[in-house]
Amino acid sequence: MTNLEISSAAAEPNAGSPARLYVVGAGILGVLIVVSAIANGLWLKILTSVAIYTLTAASIALLYRRLGLVSLAQVAMMGIGGWVALRLAHGTNLPFEMNVLCGGLLAGLVGMVLSYPALRMRGLYLALVTLMAAGGFSVLINVIQFPNGGEGFAGFAVRSVAYMPRPLIAQSDTAYLRYCAVVTALGFLLIRWHETTRPGRAWAMIRRSEACAISAGVNVTLYKVWGLALSGFLAGIAGGLLAGNLQLLDARSFPAGESVLIFALTIVGGAWHWFGAILTAILYRLLPALLNDVGINGNAAYIIFGAALIHALMTAPAGLAGQLSDAAIAIVRRYTRGRA
Amino acid sequence: MLAYGLFLLSGLALGALYSLGGVGLVLLNRATGVLNFAYGAIGAVGAMVAWQILNWGGPEPLAWAASVGTGILLSLAFGKLLAPGLAHREPVVKAVATLGFAIALLGVMNLVWSITPRNISLTLDKQSIAVLGMRITGTRLLAIGAGIAITVLTGFLLARTRMGLMMRALADNREVASVLGVPIGKVETTAWSVSGALAGFTGLLFGDLVRLDPTVLTFLVIPIIATTVIGRLTSIPVTFAAGIGIGIIESMLTLYAPLMPFRVATPFVVAIVALMWMQRSRYLTFAGED
Repeated sequence: MTNLEISSAAAEPNAGSPARLYVVGAGILGVLIVVSAIANGLWLKILTSVAIYTLTAASIALLYRRLGLVSLAQVAMMGIGGWVALRLAHGTNLPFEMNVLCGGLLAGLVGMVLSYPALRMRGLYLALVTLMAAGGFSVLINVIQFPNGGEGFAGFAVRSVAYMPRPLIAQSDTAYLRYCAVVTALGFLLIRWHETTRPGRAWAMIRRSEACAISAGVNVTLYKVWGLALSGFLAGIAGGLLAGNLQLLDARSFPAGESVLIFALTIVGGAWHWFGAILTAILYRLLPALLNDVGINGNAAYIIFGAALIHALMTAPAGLAGQLSDAAIAIVRRYTRGRA
Repeated sequence: MLAYGLFLLSGLALGALYSLGGVGLVLLNRATGVLNFAYGAIGAVGAMVAWQILNWGGPEPLAWAASVGTGILLSLAFGKLLAPGLAHREPVVKAVATLGFAIALLGVMNLVWSITPRNISLTLDKQSIAVLGMRITGTRLLAIGAGIAITVLTGFLLARTRMGLMMRALADNREVASVLGVPIGKVETTAWSVSGALAGFTGLLFGDLVRLDPTVLTFLVIPIIATTVIGRLTSIPVTFAAGIGIGIIESMLTLYAPLMPFRVATPFVVAIVALMWMQRSRYLTFAGED
């Protein structure tokens, strides 16, 4: 650890300066690029889905942290983004980026629709509305299925399945992992940009008190809708990327239960620190695979998840990320004190 | 015409199951302020334990008792050991904590009973009576009868008894209730055990009538929550009516081909429409928790 990092950590123990944040972020991206060169086959696919779900977790954490909203429908949002991306990929000759972007935009639009109840409800009731929406989506998608090159609007073929083409610059699994990591990093920057500018200030005020926000001239409705749209957009992009990972999507992997599980893990990972989303995705996708690899039934992971969620809620509201960051600060403090 | 009658009856049975689950959830919410997402998982464990006992050749009454007993035990374990630590938090946090319990229970079930198709058959399945020329199995009849009986009993418990009064006081404000001399521990124990017993009982019926699968049973809590949402998580009669209504609509849609594949979405659609309707004139700017 360099001198510079220590002093900046000591100066700003809780949040960390933006400059250091970008350094750490770039470091993680670098690690991922190195890992992508070593990992093979199955692990590449798993790491890619870790990168993708990091974006989903970030979209959940954004709503929870900034607006105090519990969204139990983010995996359904991914499904919407994925559906649009697949539909466009099989129906048009648009480039991959365009398809994913359109998927994200439509999911963002659905997020705006969800903001209609969000303006009238909060807390438990809003969480329940999103849960009902996720339940409805899982039924809907199991009927219409994801497009796989078939005829008609739904584009679903029982036989002769076509695969979604990947982006031109990322045809191989390794390249696609890097591609997803970069897109996720861009998503983080987008969130960061929002948080440090006008919407971030508006959200902070709304979170503290809506009455104060209104009296200070903040358009509460606009910024709530904006937050939900941004969150939906990010989840939709993640869905499009997921479609590119396996080059098709299975309707059975989008039940409401998955939305619930990833929300739970976002709390465990820590919604208050930006790298909590990465921890969430690691728990969600990598941990079960690792357990399986060492011969432990992946279901054991669920027991850990459940216990960790209760633990996080009762004693560590900032989640794993909060605990790690506190531990890091404690170590740094001890080290600097020892030197002085 | 016969087909309509048959689907109406099966809808009634399904609706009664939704209602049974919903009533257990509402009771717990009225008493402790916790919306229990682990309700389905608790019922699922009960059903799986009952299946195990039957599979080992145990008698059926023991299986029923084990299912209800497991429900009480698990519900109490969460309610007494973990829930008090979260009592001062907002409702959504308490609900999310029960989610953790549900996920952990699901993990345990999938470890113990690995995913293979299994089914449970109860003596009542084989007995049936004729109603207006249609046959209805004993289990369905039990579901309908229990649904009505338990709704009436729980409604009476909450509205008319001293225990019910204390439960409502507790849910409204824990601190004030304790100052007024409400024995918090005792009331919470009662609420968690009654709700757990209902979960075990409903779980076994769902396992018999719908499907005996830990994951399916665990997430059945989502449509059940839909029925309670319509009763604003507090009204037992409305929850019962909503459950029956949703069950009948869901079952009758089988007869209408264009909507048939979407019938499972009935609880969600009805709940969202009901919620939006109930909140239509509210604009939560200065309001409190929900």
